Amino acid sequence: MLYRVMDASELPKLIDAFMERYEVIAPVQSGRSVAFEPISSFDEIVLDYPTTLTSLKKYILPPRETLFEFSVDDADVTDYTLEIAPRVLFGAHACDINALNNLDLVFEDARYPDPYFEAHRAATMVVGINCSPSETCFCHLLDADEVRSGYDLFLQDLGDRYLISIGSVEAANILEAACELREATDEDRREFRRLTRERQEAFSADIPDIQEIPMLMDAFHKDEFWAELGGRCLSCTACSAVCPTCYCFDIADTLDEDGKTGRRERILDACTSPQFAQVAGGHNFRETGRDRVRHRMYHKLNGFNSKHGRYLCVGCGRCVRACKADISPIEVLRFFERKGTEDA
Amino acid sequence: MADTPRVVFAGLASCFGCQINITNIEEHLMDVLGQVDLKYWQLTSSDPMPTDFDVAVIEGAVTTEAAKESVQALREGADAVITIGACAATSGIPGMSTEDHAADMDAVYGDKVPYVVADGAITPMAVKDVISVDFEVPCCPIDPYDFVEVLQHALYGSNIYRRSSTLCGECKNNERGCFYGRNTLCLGLVTRSGCGARCPNLGRPCNGCAGLSPDANVAQARRVADRAGVGAAALDSALRIFNQPIADEEVS
Repeated sequence: MLYRVMDASELPKLIDAFMERYEVIAPVQSGRSVAFEPISSFDEIVLDYPTTLTSLKKYILPPRETLFEFSVDDADVTDYTLEIAPRVLFGAHACDINALNNLDLVFEDARYPDPYFEAHRAATMVVGINCSPSETCFCHLLDADEVRSGYDLFLQDLGDRYLISIGSVEAANILEAACELREATDEDRREFRRLTRERQEAFSADIPDIQEIPMLMDAFHKDEFWAELGGRCLSCTACSAVCPTCYCFDIADTLDEDGKTGRRERILDACTSPQFAQVAGGHNFRETGRDRVRHRMYHKLNGFNSKHGRYLCVGCGRCVRACKADISPIEVLRFFERKGTEDA
Repeated sequence: MADTPRVVFAGLASCFGCQINITNIEEHLMDVLGQVDLKYWQLTSSDPMPTDFDVAVIEGAVTTEAAKESVQALREGADAVITIGACAATSGIPGMSTEDHAADMDAVYGDKVPYVVADGAITPMAVKDVISVDFEVPCCPIDPYDFVEVLQHALYGSNIYRRSSTLCGECKNNERGCFYGRNTLCLGLVTRSGCGARCPNLGRPCNGCAGLSPDANVAQARRVADRAGVGAAALDSALRIFNQPIADEEVS
């Protein structure tokens, strides 16, 4: 990895350079929270922001997306190409970049190519920025607090300057042309290490650090805990709407008003929606909140690991705040902590 | 069905706003009418209801013996029955008096019950409590585009399924934050999704016009309301606006 250092005052030049050729999407103030939105000026960006309400997923896997259009009379598919304007997702936190990397593992599987996902991904540059944990952050417990790939640039704020990891030639060219850069010094590296330690120590101590989570998930699959946790579920699907890694979808054909043409759409779905596991004939494989919530937690903290060797959950904490019934992976970690105490 | 499906619109106890709202999609109206043979529309005609039709669209709650008979006749004549709006789906606003209809009648009219009321007024009922209903277009008023989608579903079939998940997931997609952090009651916790959370998106809490989800967790929603400081009683009271049937065991 190539590193460069740049004065903080150079940053607007980088954004201006991006804006010449790309749509720039960055964290901006939105009501009482921060949201990723297209910007038209550097001044709109909130650089030091708490986790956004929803994630960057909306730019890669939108809640609703047309897959193709069709004509009823011809019983045929109309040519349809998804065109995404080149863009930069600026200011992504490590957890969110790790989340995009997890989505890649699913949608860039060569056996099942997804041209829509690829169109979004190919048109998108990712520029990350360091963050300080808020009270619901637990990315460090799920190996998602640092990001090793999946970005074009990653900015580490060192106060009056940025230490920049360069991940792509495309971004490096823009950066070098727009900004004055220098080599990182020992002083820069010391400051980077100091700030990294400071971040690591800033996570909430109330969230238990549990080892061997996937194994514990298997061991306690039938525990009464799941009925208690799932019994609280409101079936609102807010958890998966805000989740940066929930990717399950439904497909539906919507007719235009004249009934002659229509669109096939991919609509993001949620395994906490009561009908998610209902099949033809009416049988529902996960009929209760217990079954649905447990399934979601297993995919996040166990099932994805078996297949891909890492947690699907990146510990961003969005569902912790979105769920009005206090259902979240943190509650699962607390359950394991209680079990450990009981056994000891 | 006949070659071109014959459609009739009937209005029961309601504001007729759902029927009006269908006329608000002027630019698509001819496209929609082009797919059916509109035999009768109560809003626009004083003629008697025809006897031969394929699809019956019903707005409003059943509040009289005569209305009960007319929906039964509609059911007998129609291959498909579509209800539109909250009044038809749950008995809606007219249904606010279902709890103790006789006492409400007494309080309003005393011993001077007008002839039109005395002759056949019944406790308000949802259409589905009188006849079987094939399709329901929710909300107060309906979204006319939802109506077109449901009508097409009845005419041609559809692979769109209507989820019973509640509203908050759709609301999160609008990125508007939550009323429960602002000491404000919102019925999105228990209201069926599908409308896109448009009221919260306009800065108004959900008042439940899409109806209580069959999978609503009212007991948990009451706990949320209590904890948020708005109170479970306020939630219960708000649910009565659209006469949501709350089973006793859910409330306990």
